Amino acid sequence: MTALDSRPVPAQAAAGAERLSRDEDPRHPRHRLEALLDAGSMELVSPDDRSGMLAAAGTVDGTPVVAFCSDATVMGGAMGDDGCRVVVQAYERALAEGVPIIGLWHSGGARLPEGVLSLHAVGQIFAIMTRASGTIPQISVVLGPAAGGAAYGPALTDIVILGPEGRVFVTGPDVVRSVTGEDVDMLRLGGPEPHGRRSGVVHVLTSTEQDALGRARMLASLLGSQGEIDTAGVNDVDLGIHLPESAKRAYDVHPIVDDLLDESTAVELHAKWAPNIVTTLGRLGGRTVGVVANNPLRLGGCLDSTSAEKAARFVRMCDSLGVPLVVVVDVPGYLPGVGQEWDGVVRRGAKLLHAFAEASVPRVTLVTRKAYGGAYIAMNSRALGATRVLAWPTAEVAVMGAVAAVRILHRRKLAEVDPELRPQVEVELAEEHERVAGGLDRAMDIGVVDEIVEQKSTRSALARALAEAPARRGSHSNIPL
Amino acid sequence: MVEQVSAEMVANVHSVDVSLGDRVEAGATLLVLESMKMEIPVLAETGGVVVDVKVAAGDVVQEGDILVLLD
Repeated sequence: MTALDSRPVPAQAAAGAERLSRDEDPRHPRHRLEALLDAGSMELVSPDDRSGMLAAAGTVDGTPVVAFCSDATVMGGAMGDDGCRVVVQAYERALAEGVPIIGLWHSGGARLPEGVLSLHAVGQIFAIMTRASGTIPQISVVLGPAAGGAAYGPALTDIVILGPEGRVFVTGPDVVRSVTGEDVDMLRLGGPEPHGRRSGVVHVLTSTEQDALGRARMLASLLGSQGEIDTAGVNDVDLGIHLPESAKRAYDVHPIVDDLLDESTAVELHAKWAPNIVTTLGRLGGRTVGVVANNPLRLGGCLDSTSAEKAARFVRMCDSLGVPLVVVVDVPGYLPGVGQEWDGVVRRGAKLLHAFAEASVPRVTLVTRKAYGGAYIAMNSRALGATRVLAWPTAEVAVMGAVAAVRILHRRKLAEVDPELRPQVEVELAEEHERVAGGLDRAMDIGVVDEIVEQKSTRSALARALAEAPARRGSHSNIPL
Repeated sequence: MVEQVSAEMVANVHSVDVSLGDRVEAGATLLVLESMKMEIPVLAETGGVVVDVKVAAGDVVQEGDILVLLD
């Protein structure tokens, strides 16, 4: 198709002398697409008219992509039949070429004057997004308000990035007020706080529009140009320096994740939502990998209903797009309590078991400190089909901590012991218990841990384990769990 | 603006590392909770002055309980 540039600006858009012409408006989709794509690479693949959407092909850091952008200069970016066709055509092109698609959103939703026709058209976008799911990477950047259909569009894609002015909601403040009487502004209804921390709708928060587009470029390059692992080129660093001395002490896992990945390649998803598990895309030995890591600093690193769901979606995304996984385990268990049970920790926790067990991509587990109980199973254990399970020399793999175990196993015996002597007896029993039931030796005997690796040679061990595994990819979509 | 720092989970207060009037940087340890047999530091998300400490070592806190107020 040919590029259709610099058409005359329609009279309505240019109305009012003090207002910017459509061409000068920074919200013009051509400006936004230009800012997203590599300089000089943009080729418009739809006419620059008043359809409400503009689509282009181009590259980001050399990776071919297709992109489309709401036209916020026309009816607030509202989506009608013509605009929706532009998006569907952009998808068809991206699917045919097998390249990532990036949507830039700034739209009040369906065009009211078009009635059901616009609803039908928006529904067709949803249908093709779902058809493309798990086939090509889909990235959304919300740059302005995205309401109704414009909210569910991004929500159906793999990754949602929010610009500083981005707001996502089903219905805006005016409708909320008139229907329920609730008084709320756009920021509180659909800004970074609700979607970054509470709802999980948004994966990446950004402080400038430029930063939002930059993140989209990084992610499109990670998912669209995944590369091959160069095991010889992996330098080792001591990852153990980030562990505290006391095994009881919680710590932040981020420095371990960052050092495990190649320098400056990490993009964390859902950083503030369910922060007790970390999900990060980055490169290891030059190849894109997904890292799932318990974060002991938050909730002690326990799995809970939200974190299990977050990790499950990430694992399924990586599997469907052919991204190998590194799973960093330091988990005391599932978070107990009535709140969790009522929150569906059983149902939502099952998603993580399902996600790992069905995954076909190479997936290597590293136990850094401890893996206890049901959470041990859930964190890509051997039983769920881990490609390889590595453990640091001091790691513990057990049903529970040894002292907790002997308190249950030897309840009667301990009850008869003088309370002052009890701690001493507990420690002795725990040591005995570890010899018999726990410890890495036993885990290796029964084949649930393959190899003990030094903290100083972990990066190369992980790279080797991933490189040796056959490159497979799951054949399923990435439903937004 | 007063920032409430609250408990993420049911826990025992293991230690309180700040006192009234202290100025803390973002990332500083305010107190340490004990839960799931682990000692979990609670860090300041933003810097500020400690204007209230609601708990003491040995207290049991519930999820959502306010621990410290920063201004």
